[in-house]
Amino acid sequence: MREGAGPVFACRGVTVRYGHVVALAGVGVDFERGMIHAVVGQNGAGKTTFACVVAGLVEPESGELSIDGQALSGGDVNEARSAGVELVHQSFALPPSFTVAEAMQFGAEGGGLYTKSMLEKRWQPHLDGLDVRVSAKRRIRDLPIETQQGVEIARALVTDAKLLILDEPTAVLSPEGAQKLFERVRRLKALGVTVILILHKIREVLAVADTVTVLRGGRLVEGPIPCAGVDAGRLAELIIGPAAHSLGEEEKAALTGAAIPTHSDDISAPARAVPILEMKSVSTRPDSEGPALDAVSLAVRPGEIVGVAGVEGNGQRTLVRAISSLIHVTNGRIAIEGRDMTVAPLGERRAAGLRVIPFERNVEGLSLTSALWENWSARGLLQKPLLSAISPSGLRRRCAAALDAWDVRYADVGQRAGSLSGGNAQKVILSREMDEEARLILAAQPTRGLDIGATAFVWDALRKARARGCGILFVSSDLDEIFDICDRVVVMLSGRIVAEFRPPFDIAAVGAAMTGVTR
Amino acid sequence: MTDRIVSVLRAIVFIGIGLALCGVIFEIAGYSAPLMFQSIADGAFLRSGALGHALRWGLPLFITAVGVAISFRAGYFNIGAQGQFYMGAIAAAFVAEWLNGWPAMIVIPACFVAGMTGGALWALWPGLLRLKSGADEVITTLMGNFLASLVLVYVTSGPLKDPSGSGQQASSRPLDAAYRISTSYGLSPTIVALAVLVGVLMWLLVNRTAFGVLAGLAGRNPTMVEWQGARIWRIGLASFLISGALAGLAGTIELMGPNGRLAGGFLPGHGFTAILIALVAGLSVAGTAFVALFFGGLASAALFLPVMAGLPSAAIDIINAAIALFITAKSGMIDRIVKFGRRAWTRS
Repeated sequence: MREGAGPVFACRGVTVRYGHVVALAGVGVDFERGMIHAVVGQNGAGKTTFACVVAGLVEPESGELSIDGQALSGGDVNEARSAGVELVHQSFALPPSFTVAEAMQFGAEGGGLYTKSMLEKRWQPHLDGLDVRVSAKRRIRDLPIETQQGVEIARALVTDAKLLILDEPTAVLSPEGAQKLFERVRRLKALGVTVILILHKIREVLAVADTVTVLRGGRLVEGPIPCAGVDAGRLAELIIGPAAHSLGEEEKAALTGAAIPTHSDDISAPARAVPILEMKSVSTRPDSEGPALDAVSLAVRPGEIVGVAGVEGNGQRTLVRAISSLIHVTNGRIAIEGRDMTVAPLGERRAAGLRVIPFERNVEGLSLTSALWENWSARGLLQKPLLSAISPSGLRRRCAAALDAWDVRYADVGQRAGSLSGGNAQKVILSREMDEEARLILAAQPTRGLDIGATAFVWDALRKARARGCGILFVSSDLDEIFDICDRVVVMLSGRIVAEFRPPFDIAAVGAAMTGVTR
Repeated sequence: MTDRIVSVLRAIVFIGIGLALCGVIFEIAGYSAPLMFQSIADGAFLRSGALGHALRWGLPLFITAVGVAISFRAGYFNIGAQGQFYMGAIAAAFVAEWLNGWPAMIVIPACFVAGMTGGALWALWPGLLRLKSGADEVITTLMGNFLASLVLVYVTSGPLKDPSGSGQQASSRPLDAAYRISTSYGLSPTIVALAVLVGVLMWLLVNRTAFGVLAGLAGRNPTMVEWQGARIWRIGLASFLISGALAGLAGTIELMGPNGRLAGGFLPGHGFTAILIALVAGLSVAGTAFVALFFGGLASAALFLPVMAGLPSAAIDIINAAIALFITAKSGMIDRIVKFGRRAWTRS
């Protein structure tokens, strides 16, 4: 590796526009060699775009980039890779049917004809050298998520990368998995690799990084700041910006992952009331969308927010679909407000007060090419006979009133749902699903991809629904938000509920339960 | 509102480009394009009595096209209108045969019920296959068209064969004049009233019922409607049945009105022209009425082309095909043209 004197990566005035949206505006930073640099910011701050620009995946409209003092033309992946830049994406990109060895070979230079065992012999030392403990023979799809990420990193380092970018690597990990990742990153640093970590939790930044760079709304707020000279409170203010003062300390901490929140709401859930949702050893058959439920028992009482924690892909989606009657229950019993609903269709469950904020806002929640008022009216219309008469102008008026009450920014109720921003689209769903008759609200990752203002709005709406006596099941992979708003937390692992926690929450214990470490 | 203007503009642009392309093709082929356009305009609309002819062809097309639009709106690409049209006509012909001798007051309504049921049943099985087992409705309805054509050939040369028929084409016994709803001219108050009734009812269904809104949502994103608690298969099956019943109704009208008998392979392009009409009209019920009238005019002009411009009447099929080509392949291009035009307009 050639040692230079200047920064390993430098950029000036980088601007990226997607249509009318400015993703990056005149960003300029220098990253020193052989250090761990964190880049933080809210959703929509431009972090991932920045990572893509560095890796040559996105061509900036203007600006200069250089690696080791040599200018890059920008927007050319091959050029960036030959200069030694590698990017590990947020969602993994390795073919699931490949073995580890094949995945390593894929993208490496040389090879020609080879056999399976030759490949394994070639790549096992590389994996061992990076301390990725996995057999090169195994298939990607059979590996646990932490190991898959390790393999992704090893794949990125098959060439002599000098700058490795990890885009939100902790988003899919348990707290313990994150600790292990940080150790791996420190070892890479010791090997002389410069690492850029795109993160969104201050706690993680302070745990691993040498410097931190803060982006907000596509602009560079400050950075790189040496981590030694900054504290969590200051960083939180840099990330949130002027809105910081209107938020409570706990809220701020939960939003930015500055500290582990301790649950402070003192709501005494009436333990003897009839549960709004009661599941008794519910099992399903496995299908393509995740592991089957295995004897899940769970109760949600009125005025209670129950959090479902777990690494993504451990049956959370199946749980939500089972309660929504969108997957066949093979065993067990589901009751809503004491009424057996095990075989009731979703329409009947909704009539009994079930509301769903689904995982995929743009697919399951809204029809993006349909008008706002049609999207908003769907739930009400389904409670009537199919041939009942409607008045579109009346529906438009009611929709407009509801959207205004929920502070949705829109031009006309006739506009397509796809023309709204993520936060506004989510508010449309909230305005439809959190009506007065709602009794049980399934909130599946309701804040994913939202900026801080919209996230705080969603939390507030859920708390208000709780105060009205709704029962809420809150599914999230973000422990910070779960700890902040939930009254009780259950942990899912491989389709089972493996543990239950009450406040004050112990992040280490919850994290251990998520990965199946028994204590 | 602007959406509506854009879709009207789009329909006009589609038709315009299709016609222009055909003009170029025929000019190259040695015919006179101006003469062709003139004879189309004369034959379709300008000649005295042309409107009546345009309606004669346009009204049955409108009824079938509205049905097609309803199933397309709900997200099901039912391209089996032709087969459903035939099956409706066949069912009505059988009932007319069985009830021969009964008063027209009984026979005519019975034939309509039979025709609509026949068409609906011919849409039912592809609908069930699609909704219960996921079989692609494009394949099954297309196969249904071939099957229905063969059934038509069988029926006209077998059970319903006219023994006195001497023509090369097998056909059924002609209907008793008392059971006809129009003369061979093909236009009568009954047919106009039926078309208006269908138009009004379907407009209400699409625009003023819960079904209309939910089917529109399901057509664009069935997953979302399912998460709202809809039983998608009910909406889907209803759309299949309605589109089949309307195609069957059009078949019954053609049988009991202008044709007066079943003939093997009669009106072979009816269902496909109806699909084209629904697409050009952007699946709107009101739009379908106008576009159907236009295509009805083209169909009546087809009879005049050989006389006036020396063109084969199949020239109209080529025009239809050209319009279809642009509508399927180039909707993105049209959007761009419209957008460009709008920008130029705001600049000036």
